[in-house]
Amino acid sequence: MIVLVCLESPAPSRASRAALALACTLATDAQVVAVSAGGSVASHSLDLARTCAPVSRVLQIEDPALDQADFLTTGMVLAEAARHLEAGLVIAGERSDHEGQGLVPAALAHHLHARLISRVQSVRLAATPDAIEVTLRAGGKICTLACPVPLVLTTPPGPNIAAELPVGASRAVDSLPLAQLGLDTSRLVPRPNLLGTLVPAPGKRPREMTWEEAAAALLHHR
Amino acid sequence: MASIVAYIELREGAVTRPSRYAVAEARRVADAAGATVYALLTVGPLGQAQIDQLASEVSAAGADRILCSSADALAGPPLDTTHGPLLAQVAEHLRPVLLLFPAGGVGAELGPPLAVRIGAAYLANASIELVAEERAPDLSSQRVVLTRWRAARDGQRQVDVGDLERPVVASLACGIAPASLGEPYAEVEMLPYPESSHAGPSLLASKTDDAAGLELCSALVWSRSGLDGDARTALPAGAALVVASETISPALAAASPMELFLLSPAAPDETLPLSLLAPDAAVLRVRAKHEVPP
Repeated sequence: MIVLVCLESPAPSRASRAALALACTLATDAQVVAVSAGGSVASHSLDLARTCAPVSRVLQIEDPALDQADFLTTGMVLAEAARHLEAGLVIAGERSDHEGQGLVPAALAHHLHARLISRVQSVRLAATPDAIEVTLRAGGKICTLACPVPLVLTTPPGPNIAAELPVGASRAVDSLPLAQLGLDTSRLVPRPNLLGTLVPAPGKRPREMTWEEAAAALLHHR
Repeated sequence: MASIVAYIELREGAVTRPSRYAVAEARRVADAAGATVYALLTVGPLGQAQIDQLASEVSAAGADRILCSSADALAGPPLDTTHGPLLAQVAEHLRPVLLLFPAGGVGAELGPPLAVRIGAAYLANASIELVAEERAPDLSSQRVVLTRWRAARDGQRQVDVGDLERPVVASLACGIAPASLGEPYAEVEMLPYPESSHAGPSLLASKTDDAAGLELCSALVWSRSGLDGDARTALPAGAALVVASETISPALAAASPMELFLLSPAAPDETLPLSLLAPDAAVLRVRAKHEVPP
């Protein structure tokens, strides 16, 4: 099985690092391919992937239009890459460190017509080739599910795990042009802004209170 | 009339505190903007008496109408693959202006795929503000603005529901629900579970998540050294303690409290995910007993 791990550009978020670490746990039984859409070939994300021993191939989807792409477009492009590579499992970070909300993996799963499972803790290949065993946090439980492929998994932000990734010899980054995915750059049109507008942060200072006041205030949170 | 849908999460068969808060927020918006509040219950096979009991509680929290779907596929954890098609069906049928998910991780699981499916705007860990129109001070012309912090807390992302010609999906921060906003009775409309030709996931094992309480807390108490046994056990159900030396666990990363109590001597630093706080959250510095008030 091909496991595709998606790393955002230019630098991997904590969630993306966790996704890469999760993909690496499958490397003995599957081929792990890392992909990044847009950005420079010298990005931190690709650097991380190309020196990660369990990763057998590193791809960059290259096109200037991707640097300004919205989450729907990025998800569609990554879905086409997964389809092109015939990946049975796609793993991505749940969200970027800055403003991420989990929309790119959702768009990816939507375009790939694959199931999406979030907040994944661990994964292993099941006895049958068309299923994955996934352990995740949901609904106040730690659940283990057997899920049919194709499947998109997302990992929550974790501690900085770069040091835990097995390091190997640096490998080359292969370019994956949009045309090879059957995508026309002219299709990558800007969509309506679905993320709202950015406004300055209001200046708020911490309010001082005594232990007694704090105890009284805490009682409201029964 | 416009409609607002609040998703209700159940844990151990009970409505979560953040779910009651989500209904209360929907009620507040509906009262200001003129809308009907629908609460959506998704449950495994349950008797009518149990459904009525849950509906009564949700109704008292402020819902006008209760939608309920009961199916084997809904008995497990709330996943997009099992719950997503039903949510999309509800959105297609009601065309709500606002779909709210409560704090507790269910929004992160169900919110983004629903937003993508129905072409909605999406905001995670949001707070809702009602802003009066300058030229029209009557209640019905209040603007509904959803806000969330950027992670670096250097700015906020805002969505004005009235500015969009599409629905808004949002997961809410974890606030305190008022005791009661409605009558403990509302009409329950049972919804059929959408049939699927695809095999879904099968549950192999499940155990209680010991850290799950963090996701549901409306107050975080942050301490450099922890609390002694008496103080720790005296914390109310909606408050959770975080010790500075702890790393940011996935459970803590899913928290979204409305109040943060910093026990002195302490200051928030990189060990505490301040970005998780809701936009109108209060940061409260609690002086040590020996400190002289300024």
